[in-house]
Amino acid sequence: MSPPAPPPPIARPLARLTAGSDRALRTAGWLTALAALLWLPQAAVLAQALAAALHGHPPAALPTVAAFVGFGALRAILSYLAEGRLYLVADTVAATARAHLVAREARRGGTAPAGPGAIAALVAEKIDLLTPYLTRYAPARARVMVVTPVILLISFAQSWAVGLVLLVSGPLIPVFQALVGMAAKEASQRQMTEIASLNDMLVDRLSALPDMRLMAATGRLVAGLRDRSDSLRVRTMEVLRIAFLSSAVLEFFAAIGVAMVAVWCGFALLGALGWGSWGHSISAFGALWVLLLAPDFYLPLRDLSAAWHDKAAAEAVAEELAELEQGPNRPILGQGQATAPLPGPATLRLQGVVVQTGMRRITYPDVTVAPGESLAVTGPSGAGKTTLLRLIAGLAAPESGRIEVAGRALGDATADAWRARIGWMPQGPWFLDASLRANLTLGRDGDIDAALEAAAGTAVVAAMPRGLATRLGEAGAGLSGGEARRMALARALHAGPDLILADEPTADLDDVTAAAVIDGLMAQAARGATLIVATHDPRLIARMDKTLAVGEAA
Amino acid sequence: MRALLSVFLHVARGERTGLTRGAVLSVVTLLAGVGLLGLSGWFILAAAAAGLAGTGATFDVFRPGAMVRLLAFGRTTARYGERVFTHDATLRVLAGLRVRLLQHLAAAPFSRLERLRGALALNRLTADVDALDGITLRLVLPLGAAVLTQAVAALLLAWLATPAVALWLLAVHLMGGVAVLALGIRAAATPARLAERAGQALRARTVDLIRARDDLAVAGRLSTQEAHAMAADQRRRALRLRIDRIERGAGLALSLTSLAAVGGALALGLDALRAGQISAATAAIGPFAALGLAETLMPLRRAVAEVGRMADAARRVAPDLRPVPTAPAMARPAADAAQGLEIQGLAYCRAGATRAVVEGFSLTLHPGETVALTGPSGAGKSTILALAAGLITPDAGTITLAGAPLDNWPESALRTHLGLLPQRAALVGGSLRENLALAAPDADDATMQAALEQVMLWPAVAGRGGLDLRLADRGAGLSGGEARRLAIARVLLRRPEVLLLDEPTEGIDAETASRLLANLRAELPRTAIAVAAHRPLERDWADRCVTLS
Repeated sequence: MSPPAPPPPIARPLARLTAGSDRALRTAGWLTALAALLWLPQAAVLAQALAAALHGHPPAALPTVAAFVGFGALRAILSYLAEGRLYLVADTVAATARAHLVAREARRGGTAPAGPGAIAALVAEKIDLLTPYLTRYAPARARVMVVTPVILLISFAQSWAVGLVLLVSGPLIPVFQALVGMAAKEASQRQMTEIASLNDMLVDRLSALPDMRLMAATGRLVAGLRDRSDSLRVRTMEVLRIAFLSSAVLEFFAAIGVAMVAVWCGFALLGALGWGSWGHSISAFGALWVLLLAPDFYLPLRDLSAAWHDKAAAEAVAEELAELEQGPNRPILGQGQATAPLPGPATLRLQGVVVQTGMRRITYPDVTVAPGESLAVTGPSGAGKTTLLRLIAGLAAPESGRIEVAGRALGDATADAWRARIGWMPQGPWFLDASLRANLTLGRDGDIDAALEAAAGTAVVAAMPRGLATRLGEAGAGLSGGEARRMALARALHAGPDLILADEPTADLDDVTAAAVIDGLMAQAARGATLIVATHDPRLIARMDKTLAVGEAA
Repeated sequence: MRALLSVFLHVARGERTGLTRGAVLSVVTLLAGVGLLGLSGWFILAAAAAGLAGTGATFDVFRPGAMVRLLAFGRTTARYGERVFTHDATLRVLAGLRVRLLQHLAAAPFSRLERLRGALALNRLTADVDALDGITLRLVLPLGAAVLTQAVAALLLAWLATPAVALWLLAVHLMGGVAVLALGIRAAATPARLAERAGQALRARTVDLIRARDDLAVAGRLSTQEAHAMAADQRRRALRLRIDRIERGAGLALSLTSLAAVGGALALGLDALRAGQISAATAAIGPFAALGLAETLMPLRRAVAEVGRMADAARRVAPDLRPVPTAPAMARPAADAAQGLEIQGLAYCRAGATRAVVEGFSLTLHPGETVALTGPSGAGKSTILALAAGLITPDAGTITLAGAPLDNWPESALRTHLGLLPQRAALVGGSLRENLALAAPDADDATMQAALEQVMLWPAVAGRGGLDLRLADRGAGLSGGEARRLAIARVLLRRPEVLLLDEPTEGIDAETASRLLANLRAELPRTAIAVAAHRPLERDWADRCVTLS
């Protein structure tokens, strides 16, 4: 059987993420366009009042101001509501994306294409980049489709010259934005590379900080950071200069457009120009009105140009999510939830089990392990010893073959209940950002003192700064290699398991500690627990009932 | 708020020129905007009045027309300049700040360094510092420019329009702006701080969930830990929703403030016109200028939304603004080369622990001598080496290095005299040369190659690029035993007088390990060596063993 062909790339990943919210986005977008349109009557009230005053009939202040403020307040309130709806939509889209990502990655059976740090960065930060796109792009597009043409029509109605100025200068904004945008994209990619490499270097060097101190190398580290920081600043300024220039160019066209409208209106009103309007000269009201409207003709175009950047950022995130989703993914069996243990004697039977990891196929020999038996899984490193333990625990699914546990097939329906009977001792235990107690119990009932006693770990805990309440660093900092191994054994024994799966439990341990760990394990076997250990330690293999050789020997 | 202020003062002191230029241009930009609108409104009405009166021929159209174009162009240019100056100045200060934070971190006690969660410390170094750019760019500068612009605009309006209009606009904008800022900051500060904390929890819990997914799945805790992570997300969402509401509320209040300003200016203008005090064109200046002045209020909305995050970051960063304390200039003690390391009655108990790790330990280590510390794991072998290297301070006992108490040794001299190979030595990304240069920046390629030959690593890497072999982050790309040998080569290149080795040959096969140790001794014949040993071959290598229980 050949490995399955990769699925075709997901088309338009961004559209797929936002698919459920399109309607809500559109509605909110039209709402912002409606709010922007209210500036038309508001500006008309102001222009009318001033034009009437010019002709010697100043209107009463109160109704004029009331109308102006009324339209303005309505506009502000509509904007407030529309922005609120947009935010809710964006929040929902982002939350859904986060929940999907976490649920899938937590239950990934094989090796993940992205490490924990990369996934955490997506969850905690990068998915947030969808929000600016969702809250800005659709509304800006709605305003370009509504407000810009309406103001253009009004301007043409007042004067074809003003309309022509807008018609010609307006499209320059997207054109120049596209031209500058290309340069900006290149510079911003250089900057992103610089940021990424600076951050990588920092994480790398920070985790080696104690060694740096020992080698008196911190001065050189700081100097290195200073150089990189400076070069990052130069790159960032490069990007910002282009961004500022592009917005300056857009603003310049808008400002020149408005200035031309103002100057033309002034000349026309003086009677110095005989062209540009429809037969009669433009009225003072018309001139004031188009002058007030002209900036808002350009504004949606500028907003949309700015939102293009948000769209590009959101697309990059959507693509990253789609790539992760596409990678080969066989989820673990079951949900990883607490449940009642599977009843019956804990017999384990493997028949014709074949697994595909990456480019390698591993075929396991058939084996039956009776309750209380102990089995050593041996073989050269990379032969698939750890994978076998993961298969038995339902943390990976075989390509073909059958794994029978307590007389039933191991599958989605039985995996959680089966695991409730297992004690798991990985080679490199990961300690959660929590107290030692929480790390040992992992929320399960059991006798923590007995587990520590059995794992020869009581003295280790007594020497910790705050005993069981001590918080551990990420890879168990504060614990030596042997101490961490004993804590992992205590964690495995805590819930009184019927089957213990231990991966290289004595690797790199000194004789005394290795003997303590082996005695701890054998005490469990004496209690009646089944023991399956992946190991190449002769001291341990000698104590097991039988041996299963995997890899080349099989 | 105090932390915010001290960060701003730090920035201001560092880049006074750039910020001053930026601030001036920022005021110019805002004033040009106000002038552009006011002038346009006046110009159109004045031209219309002249047209109506039939005096169009004598009306000076060119100066106002040119002025309109000048303001439009000047505003664009000034804004560009302002942005470049202020961003450049801010980025310079932030780069310096990042370096200073790293210096503080590098000088922290060893116990803190060991517990440092790489990702968390990085977050502080990047996210916090990035959040601080807002203090100048989005808080202090826009506020200062707004107040200054309002003041200048009020003076101009009092002269060009009427004092009543000028006073009205100044009062409404100042009161509205101050009220929104004060109320908004008060409402948003706490949720912003909590949202930041929830974000950190979300990040840490996600890392835990993914890293420990096998362990959690077997314990039946996968769903629980997932819910735990998602609870942090829920909390952050709820807080952010609150911040968004406050931000939009601030935006609404600012829009209404601006409306009141324009409406009032219009009413005052119409009244003055009716009273015959001013012309229609002059009456237009007030409302048009007020429309322009609305721009000064706009940055306040973002300031309200971000100030909580900035204050939070500033609170964490502010303590590290002070210059890094330079170690007191201690003279290198008169070292007596004939004496190695002398330890008397050493005792050490981890803070809060009930049982001492080391008690009443003594050892004399002569130059050229090798002593193995043996005993089960947890007996205190590593702790003794850490105490002897000055990484932690003993509760009792004395340590004398080359005849001088350890406390009298300045850090740099101590690190030159004494080398320690920790149990988990950390390598870094980059070439082998870069890794070795961390230990010995002046060593040439021949010296480095010789060191790699002595630790038996050269044959394994010679065909893979030699010193140019590139390692991925944290030295990934070497096997465990190869990484260990590289770490030994590093400490060998420093040629210390006293060398402390913590399980040096872990992961190295017995034959290679024995030859490596023999080479090490041959290369450093006069060095006093103490080794925390757990393999027989390490014990055999030593001249004598000290057993800990």
